[in-house]
Amino acid sequence: MKPTGFIIPVLLGVTWEVVVQSGLATGRLMPPPSHLLHSAIGLAASGELWTHVAATMTRIGLGFLFGAAAGTACGVLAGASGLALRLLDPSIQALRAIPSLAWVPLFILWLGIFETSKLALIAMGVFFPVYLGVLSAIQGVDRKLIEVGRVFGLSSTGIALRITGPAVLPSWFAALRTGLGLGFMFVVAAELMGASEGLGYMLLDGQQMGRADTILVAMIVFALLGKACDSILVAISIPLLRWQDTVRASL
Amino acid sequence: MTNLAIDHIGKTYADGTEALRDIQVHAAEGEIVAILGGSGCGKTTLLRLVAGLDTPSIGAISVGGQKIAGTHPAISAVFQEPRLLPWLKVGANIAFGGQRLDPTERDRRASALMERIGLSGYDHRWPRDLSGGQSQRVAIARALIGHPGVLLLDEPFSALDPFTRASLHELVLGLWKELKPTILMVTHDVDEAVTLADRIVVMKPRPGRVHESIQVDIPRPRDKLSSAFELMKRRVMRAIDRSLADDRPAGPRAFGPGGTSPWL
Repeated sequence: MKPTGFIIPVLLGVTWEVVVQSGLATGRLMPPPSHLLHSAIGLAASGELWTHVAATMTRIGLGFLFGAAAGTACGVLAGASGLALRLLDPSIQALRAIPSLAWVPLFILWLGIFETSKLALIAMGVFFPVYLGVLSAIQGVDRKLIEVGRVFGLSSTGIALRITGPAVLPSWFAALRTGLGLGFMFVVAAELMGASEGLGYMLLDGQQMGRADTILVAMIVFALLGKACDSILVAISIPLLRWQDTVRASL
Repeated sequence: MTNLAIDHIGKTYADGTEALRDIQVHAAEGEIVAILGGSGCGKTTLLRLVAGLDTPSIGAISVGGQKIAGTHPAISAVFQEPRLLPWLKVGANIAFGGQRLDPTERDRRASALMERIGLSGYDHRWPRDLSGGQSQRVAIARALIGHPGVLLLDEPFSALDPFTRASLHELVLGLWKELKPTILMVTHDVDEAVTLADRIVVMKPRPGRVHESIQVDIPRPRDKLSSAFELMKRRVMRAIDRSLADDRPAGPRAFGPGGTSPWL
């Protein structure tokens, strides 16, 4: 994040801090930054915050891994084979149309209230954007570049590895980033559906205990973790996409 | 000795459109044959068939006396656009053309070709950093790194400015003298065909057929200002006029004998 990106949040925080400190507002439902910092330090020092962060990140990590792997595999399969596309795509599109939260009762029924159902929900959230991104990227590979591969003697596997693969890479990373964002969205839903730890649980706990500061600290930690994970994905992609004009421009 | 033989090739698409009919073109080893004709006469379709990117509906293509089906190691191509792989650096793009070479030999040839095309020191640059002319030079080097017996040129100079085009003509002729591939090129530029080719095959459209084959017996290097060059151009232009006139429905002729030719 460039320094200019901090201007608006810092300005809002400082303004609210001044408003509360000067007694113009109580800050009970919207605690000022100093109060939030105090709460965050307290939660971190007690170790409670780290327990919640570790639980959430483990769920996101595993859910993202399964969802991204399945989405990529199905996207590659449907993109590479017309038969697989005709077999898979209608069902996947129909499943995609079901609101994801509608799966919650079924997942709990099938997989229990514990970790498996949570991972399944997160993985499903990640799956669809990754599948769609990979499929449309494969379908959009420039036919002229495939012809170059054929003229210079590449086999079908060679074309897949040396032409289609690199051509699809930018869209794959974009799809992973979208999937990761949805993973964060779904982990909250997963943790709200019955968890004893995790940032989603922290949100629910804050609501039940009337602690707006706990809720806001959880939200801020979500934002920081989400941004950090996205930045890691971008950092991984940069050396692989250095050939693109767009990546160079954004460096 | 005939190196490339296109025998009675025809191409009809699934929707019934007949693109090519009974094309017969033979090219000797080291000969440069230009296929000339207006838009829609099937020049590029013919080249795609020879490259193995499409299959003829009828007829056969042979290289060195052997019939071929699909792509062939002896046939290489330069396309209208450079079609460089954007994720490979310039050196790797050239080396890409030498898939079947031993890696050491491939690197040696790539390095020699980089120098030959005037881009030594560019091997670690991305294709995005090259101009149109430079990209097309790289595409030519990529096509020649495997020392193909047949080189196909699909209007590779058409999008370039006249200065770059002239320098690329020189480059192609220079590399042709060194490696002596048979070159089959398609173009709609009469000047370019007379500059480069040993023989010009004029095609006529709907469906694409061979109209006339003209031997270009002007010694190289060819002086574009010479009367021989000018006369050859006129001869080719007249052949094009006749090919179009044959295709035109009966009625008043817009040009040709008694009319105004767009060429003359």
